[in-house]
Amino acid sequence: MSVRREESAWEPRDKMTVLDRDIPRVDGPEKVTGRARYTHDVRLPNMLYARLVLAQIPRATVDELDLTAAREVPGVVHVEADKEVGADLAYLGDDSVLAFVAAETPEAAHDGARAVRFALSPKAPVVTREQSLDPESPSITRRGNVRAGRGARNAEEVEAKVGSSAHSITATYTLPIQHHVSLETHGCVVDLDAEAGEATVYASTQMVSGNASSFAGLLGLDASKVRVVCQHMGGGFGSKFGPGLEGAIACRIARATGRPVHLMLDRPQEFQMAGNRSGTHAEVSLACDADGVLTAASGQIDRLGGVGGGSFPGFPYIYDCESAANARSVYTALDSSRAMRAPGHPQGSFVMESALDELAFAAGIGPLDIRMKNAPDEVWKRHLSVVADAIGWSSHPHTDGPGREGPDGWAEGIGFGLATWRAGGAPGGQCEVKIERDGSVVSSCGVQDLGTGSRTYVAAIPAEELGLEVSGVTARIGDSVLPPGVGSGGSVTTGSIAPVIKHAAHRAREAFEERLSEVSTAKVGEFTWEGGRVRANDGSLDIEFTEACKLLGNSAIVGSSNFRDAQHLVAEGRLHGAQAARVRVDTLTGRVVVVDMVAIQDMGLPLNRLAARSQVNGGLIQALSYGLLEERVLDPVHGWLLTGNLENYKIAGSREIGGIRSIIDDEDDRWKATGMAEAPVIPGQSAIANAIFNACGARVRSLPFTPDRVLDALSKRG
Amino acid sequence: MTDSDSDRAPDHAPHDGTDRATPRPLSRRSFLKGASAVTAGTAAVGEAMAGQAAAEAAAAEAASRGTRLAGRVAVELEINGAKRTAQVEPRTTLLSTLRHHLDRPLTGTKEVCDRGNCGACTVLIDGEPVYACLTLASRCTGKSITTVEGLGSPQDLSDVQAAFVEKDAQMCGFCTPGFVVATTACLAKHANPDRDTIRTELSGNICRCGTYGHVFDAAEAVRDRRTGAGASEKGGEQR
Repeated sequence: MSVRREESAWEPRDKMTVLDRDIPRVDGPEKVTGRARYTHDVRLPNMLYARLVLAQIPRATVDELDLTAAREVPGVVHVEADKEVGADLAYLGDDSVLAFVAAETPEAAHDGARAVRFALSPKAPVVTREQSLDPESPSITRRGNVRAGRGARNAEEVEAKVGSSAHSITATYTLPIQHHVSLETHGCVVDLDAEAGEATVYASTQMVSGNASSFAGLLGLDASKVRVVCQHMGGGFGSKFGPGLEGAIACRIARATGRPVHLMLDRPQEFQMAGNRSGTHAEVSLACDADGVLTAASGQIDRLGGVGGGSFPGFPYIYDCESAANARSVYTALDSSRAMRAPGHPQGSFVMESALDELAFAAGIGPLDIRMKNAPDEVWKRHLSVVADAIGWSSHPHTDGPGREGPDGWAEGIGFGLATWRAGGAPGGQCEVKIERDGSVVSSCGVQDLGTGSRTYVAAIPAEELGLEVSGVTARIGDSVLPPGVGSGGSVTTGSIAPVIKHAAHRAREAFEERLSEVSTAKVGEFTWEGGRVRANDGSLDIEFTEACKLLGNSAIVGSSNFRDAQHLVAEGRLHGAQAARVRVDTLTGRVVVVDMVAIQDMGLPLNRLAARSQVNGGLIQALSYGLLEERVLDPVHGWLLTGNLENYKIAGSREIGGIRSIIDDEDDRWKATGMAEAPVIPGQSAIANAIFNACGARVRSLPFTPDRVLDALSKRG
Repeated sequence: MTDSDSDRAPDHAPHDGTDRATPRPLSRRSFLKGASAVTAGTAAVGEAMAGQAAAEAAAAEAASRGTRLAGRVAVELEINGAKRTAQVEPRTTLLSTLRHHLDRPLTGTKEVCDRGNCGACTVLIDGEPVYACLTLASRCTGKSITTVEGLGSPQDLSDVQAAFVEKDAQMCGFCTPGFVVATTACLAKHANPDRDTIRTELSGNICRCGTYGHVFDAAEAVRDRRTGAGASEKGGEQR
């Protein structure tokens, strides 16, 4: 079969019949009935349940580790130490794992884990920035406790410019460590057949295709003998890529016992060792001229990523002016931060949008006006106008400066923030679209669906190409035996995979047309596929799709493509986005109520408007949750994690959110599909902080905006 | 009872809270010795809600009969209209029973926090929404248990489930079974709830992806269809 390599293009909006519409997700019925099987739900014959035993102080020496009692617990099959007596624990996280247990039931594994006896000699915890920077503190890494940034060459010049500008502000902003809180914890089920030399691993992962070789290494097998499956996953948000220590331990138990092993972290373990968004401490200065145009930015930004480097996108974030801001990593004895939805950007947004708001007030310019003056391009300006209109800015009583509370103590305000992320994809993905004689169409790619709706567009894109309903195409994803997908990080999935599916479907259609040209007078490219029918444009053929498939005989049509071949369909450039928040502040109690949030997001071609709105709405809610509630707290004396479960690490629930509205930017004429899930999580907490100031003049410079912090800020207002 | 026996049958008190309270030096042994004192109470953990006195009475009664309340016993549960038997311990939760101890496990009910914070394990017991992680299986005999699987199947969705699909009231879907059950209970309790009532009734469930608005929309769509108030259907683009 020859496949012609012709360019394909997305249909224009008015020609589309499937895409750019609300498409209910194809796996929705399985999810709402509890039939969707997640890694947690895998049950295999003879399966063991494994459980980790963790120390709960960050730095310590292991004085005693006794597994005898654990081995005697009924139902316990395997107990193994992960640390030796005398070992030093370096940080709170995966280095806290002392031992692990596998048993016939989860209850027996729990009993076995509790029966592991250990004694630790604690050492100074070093869990806060202050402890880390204390010259008396021990070194957390071999390189010391601080990794300095390169430093700006123009530092003195920029400092001078800050001083000589018409207006400037200097302030310190802090953001705590945030957790991903994926509702499905990290882990996997390893089904090793040692005799046959093969294994199937069910993993809750954002990277199905790339993981087969990682697990193969852990199992001592060839990658060709390992299959990784993830049909559904309960959230990842950047924290779930490789096997992790928990995956490595599951493999060790599988090899030792010869039985399938189910190892999922429990919720406190998830909080202790499954990653987080790095904290930030930023002391910055920002200046503008008399017209409010930014002139200079400087400062020192500390990234607090535990034993990792942390992330921060730079200051002044998306805005343009000369900058001498310097970022460095300050290490603490905590697990490394991991990528979390738009790594660094929510922190960068909060620092910059807060500073910009403070500068606007110092300069006597309204918060919307200073953004209109400084937004780097016309799209952001248009986005600002859209959200300002939607939130009711023009009828707001105080648009130049803060208002004041009414007689009941409540004040109301509006704030803004901008976002950016890159559009497009990453190389490596391949897809295949197969059309069978019986009319069935299968679209395959080893990509995963984190809840973003990728499975749905894997089916919907060929449906659009072939003039079928979405239900006429079966999506096969989440399995490493399929053509390789890409890891789902940095919003690259859609931008990487959608063009390849489109191109594979186009090639399948052309191959089909070549066959149809034998039974009609039309040539390839001269057929119309719509409404479940195939029509030769010259009228020589007009049949149902299923009838056309019967002409295929015994050889099915297969169209395949890859990222390089589909390059002409790949989006590029950057995404924008603006958000506005309206809040009410109770100045008597410090309570903040977010009444309304609005986001506009550009996304090129919106493949599925329903799923796109879900993404943007979810971004707003996560930003609200970050702004009002979320904070990892450690006891500085013992180093204990005090926010180790959901009763003390709060995330937004149904009563915390107000109106949540998302607007898809339909004026974006870049008609190419791209992921965009990072952008809408970025500026919401900044908009809320600015709205609190606009309401009552209280400037909150630390997340989350809890009542104590708001009352403190109220006590300091002018 | 020997010290090692106490290790075999630890109590079901929250592990972390107790451990964190242990003073330096951090020794698991001293904690376990302390735990052995309450091991007798473990045997009657099914009675824990009735307090220490009841636990002691149950243990005394068990001792007088020469039996232990620990170990596995068969319970018969009515789940989704069918009689199911499971071998459970007194401390086994309904959540664990559904997910691990049935011959054909029901894994639609999710475990997220296992301590009553999140609502992912919400099931109906005699029509009332409860957290299966805070409910002992042994307390559920003679009651009617409905899980998300019992509300409908992919081929035959309940009206609530169909509305969840239509409004995209799910993303990763891990909280979704709990929300479907809680929404079903909300709409059984209130014939015509306003959005604020729906918010309150669903406030025992959390979602990390941020689907709340879509869940409220789904609940309102079902309410409107049931009350015949279809006119208040909302357009899609804003919520």
